[in-house]
Amino acid sequence: MLREKIEKYLLDVQKPSRYIGGEVGSIIKDKSEIDVRFAFCFPDTYDIGMSHLGMKILYSLTNERKNYWCERCFAPSEDFEKIMRENDIPLYALESLDPIKDFDFIGFTMQYELSYTNVLNMLDLAGIPIYSRDRTEELTQIVVAGGPCVCNPEPLADFFDLFILGEGEEVNLELMDLYNKMKKQGASRKDFLREACKIQGIYVPEFYKFSYKPDGTIEKVETTDNAPALVKKRIIKEFDKVYYPENFVVPFTEIVHDRVSVEVLRGCLRGCRFCQAGFIYRPFREKKADTIVNQTRCLCENTGYDEVSLASLSTSDHSEITPILSELIEYTADEKITLSLPSLRVDNFSEELLEKIKRVRKSGLTFAPEAGTQRLRDAINKNVTEEEIMNTCRIAFEGGYTAVKLYFMMGLPTETDDDIKGIAELSQRIIDLYYSLQNKPKGKGVQISISCATFVPKPFTPFEFEGQDTREMIEHKQKLLLDSVNRKRVKVSYHDANVSILEVILAKGDRRLCDVIYTAWKKGCKFDSWSEYFRFDKWVEAFGECGVDMSFYANRKIPYDEILPWEHLDYYVSKEFFIRENKKAHGFETTPHCRLRCTGCGVNRETGGKCFD
Amino acid sequence: MIRLRAVFEKKDRAKYISHLDLNRCMLRTFRRSGLPIWYTEGFHSHPYFSFALALSLGYESSCEILDFNLNEEIPFDEIRDRLNAVMPYGMKIISVGEQVQKITAIAKAEYNFSIKSEDITGLVTDIENLLNGKEILVEKKTKKGIQTVDIKPYIEVVTCEVSGADTYNMTVRLPAGTQKNYNPSLIFTALKDFTEIPFEVTDIKRTGILCADNRSFV
Repeated sequence: MLREKIEKYLLDVQKPSRYIGGEVGSIIKDKSEIDVRFAFCFPDTYDIGMSHLGMKILYSLTNERKNYWCERCFAPSEDFEKIMRENDIPLYALESLDPIKDFDFIGFTMQYELSYTNVLNMLDLAGIPIYSRDRTEELTQIVVAGGPCVCNPEPLADFFDLFILGEGEEVNLELMDLYNKMKKQGASRKDFLREACKIQGIYVPEFYKFSYKPDGTIEKVETTDNAPALVKKRIIKEFDKVYYPENFVVPFTEIVHDRVSVEVLRGCLRGCRFCQAGFIYRPFREKKADTIVNQTRCLCENTGYDEVSLASLSTSDHSEITPILSELIEYTADEKITLSLPSLRVDNFSEELLEKIKRVRKSGLTFAPEAGTQRLRDAINKNVTEEEIMNTCRIAFEGGYTAVKLYFMMGLPTETDDDIKGIAELSQRIIDLYYSLQNKPKGKGVQISISCATFVPKPFTPFEFEGQDTREMIEHKQKLLLDSVNRKRVKVSYHDANVSILEVILAKGDRRLCDVIYTAWKKGCKFDSWSEYFRFDKWVEAFGECGVDMSFYANRKIPYDEILPWEHLDYYVSKEFFIRENKKAHGFETTPHCRLRCTGCGVNRETGGKCFD
Repeated sequence: MIRLRAVFEKKDRAKYISHLDLNRCMLRTFRRSGLPIWYTEGFHSHPYFSFALALSLGYESSCEILDFNLNEEIPFDEIRDRLNAVMPYGMKIISVGEQVQKITAIAKAEYNFSIKSEDITGLVTDIENLLNGKEILVEKKTKKGIQTVDIKPYIEVVTCEVSGADTYNMTVRLPAGTQKNYNPSLIFTALKDFTEIPFEVTDIKRTGILCADNRSFV
C-alpha cells in the first residue's frame, strides 16, 4: 500500500503533516460509491496552495455530490520530492493517499505564470504523460486547468486536455456530469472532448489550429471537430446565492493565509488599466451584508479559526461596507476573533473606516498609489489624486500610525524618469506632512516602505498591446529610484527584473512556448516564483534551444489589428473597449468607475442589462 | 475559572502533528466545541493550554496530558464528548478531570516500540549486552550545550520479547518531567553506535506518564 511507503519516509522531511492529510474538515469517502474522482492540484507547496480560496470553494462544492470525490494535491517540497523519486512514490492525493494518475480528472488551478513548470513536474511525479497527445485514448486521466492564467492558456496548450474559463462553481459539475454519463457509455477520451467543448466555458486546445505569418505573428486560428470559434467564459449570475463552503480544511501546519476568508464581492468596478483581475473577473457583483455575516459566523464556528479576513479585489467598494464592518467587528470582538481587512483603497478611506479598523489592528497601513505622478496615475486610470493620498496619510498619522507602506509599479506605459523621481518626491511630501502635524504620534519618526514591482502587461487589459521595458530600462529606473529617495525615512524594495521578464513572456505567449516550458523544466526549472529556485539562465538556454525570441513576446508593441493569442477566448470585455482605453491612456485621460457611469466594456452582453441598479 | 486536566491519545495520522502545531490545533478544537474557554486578562488576551510533556514528532501516545481552563463548570463527560465530536482524526480525549496533582509530580514516562532487524537474534544479544554493560554514554542536547550523559542507571526495562521473525518489542521507562527528560531515541542512538547489525525502530508509542513511585500520574 502506498500509505506505508509514504509513512516510512515521512519523518525524514520538513513539516510532514503536509503530506499525510487527515486534517479536520478534509473529506473521506468510500471509494466503492464514487463515480468520478477529481484531484484538485495546486502547482505549489501545501503552505501556499492551502491558502487558495478557490480550491476551498470547489473542493466543498464537488464533495457535496455524493458520488463525486474531490481530493487535494500539492507540489512536494524538494526534500520529499527526492524521496518520492528515489522510492517510486507517485504523486498522490491527500484524502485517499491514492496515486492521482488513477483519477478521472487531474485539475490544476493556474494562479500565476511562474508556477507553470511545477505543473509539468507534478504530472511527471504522478506518472502522467506530460504532453496531452501522449495520453491514453481511454476516458480517464483528463488533465484540466482553470484560474486566472487560463485567460491565455496557449503556453500550456500542449499539456492540458481542456481548460475551464471563468468561474467554476457551475461548469465544473457540468463537466463531471458529462464525464460520468459518457464513461458509462464507454466513450473514448476524444469523444468526451468533442462533447465537452460544447459546454460554455470549456476550451479544448487540440481543436484549434494556429498558423503564423513569416514575421511570427498569428495569421489565423482554425477550429476542428465542430469546436466553437469563440469560447466564452462562465459567469455566476446570482452571486449572492452562489455556493459557499460551510467548512474549510483546517491544516495542522501553519499556512500562508491561515484563517477564515469570506468572499464579499467578485469583480472590480475600478478599471485600473494595468490590472488583469479588474477585467477578467467582471462584472462587479456583491454578496448581501447578511450573507457575508452569516458565512463568517458559520465558518468561524465550524473551523475554530480565530482569525477572519474579507476577500475581494477591493473590499471597501462594497456598497454596504460600513454596516458589514460594524456587525463583524461586534461579532469578532465578542468571540475573540481577529478581523483583517486587506484591499483598502486610498480614495474612499474615511475616518469612520479607520476608526473601525483601528479597533482591530494597529500595525502599518498599506496603500497602492501605483505611480508617482498624477499624469501617470491618470494614464493607468488609478483614479487616486495626490490630495486623497495626503488626506489618507494625515488621517492615518493622526490616528497613531507611524509606518506607511506604498506600492508602486515601474515600467508603466508612457512612463519617464520624472515619474520615477515622482515616487521619491511623493514619499518626501508624506514625510513632510507627518512632521507638520501638530497631533502626530509623540516621539516617533515616520517610516515609509516603498515596494516597487516591474509592470507586466497582461492579456485582457488595455495594456495587452504594450511591450515591457527592457532589462536595461528596468535596471536604470531601479537605480534612479534608489538615488532619488530620502534613505533615512524611506525603505525601497523591488523585484528581480528577470522574474518580471519571464512573467510577461509566459502571460502573453502563444503555443510556441509549450516546448520552451518543457525544455526549461527538463533543465531543472521548477518553483520559479521562489527566488532560491529561480534559474533565469536555464530559461534563456531553453528559449535559445527552441529558437524562440524572448523580446518578441516581452518587449514588442502589438498593433491593434494583430490577432492576439487569446483572441478566440471571450471574457466578455471587448477588444474595442481595450483599444479605446489604451488610446485614452496615451492621452492621459481617465475613465470613471462603473458605478459612476457604464464604460461599455461589453460584459453586460452576458449578464443582460445593467451591472448596477 | 475552572482548572481542568484532560488525558488524550494521539495516534495514526495525528502523530505527524508537531508539538508546536498541537497548541494551535487544540485551540481550534476547543473553539469548534463551543466550550466556554477562559481567556487571560490583559492586552493580548489568550486562552491557557499547557501540555505536561512534549511528544516527539512521529510518536504515538495513549496518555498525553493537557491542562486547560474553562469559565463555567460543565460535567467532565460532557466536556470530553463535546471535544471528541470535533477532534482531528487520530486524536481522542480519554478523560477529563480535576488537576489532582501538580505537573511537577511527573517523574517518568513509559514507551513501547518495536525494533526490527533481519538478524534479530544477533541484535537482541547486542541489546542485552548494551543494557547490561557498565554504562551507556550518549550525547544529549541541553540548554547548556551538548553534554555526555550516562543513561544506563535511568533505563527501566518493563517488558521485552521477540515477536515473529524479525521484531523485538520493548517497553521501557525513562525519566520525564521538569527535571530530567530522556527520550527513547537516546537508546536507539546508543544501540546504533554499539551494534553493527542494521535495524530500524517502528511504532514508538508513549504508554504511560508516571510518578516516582510508578503510579500513573492521572
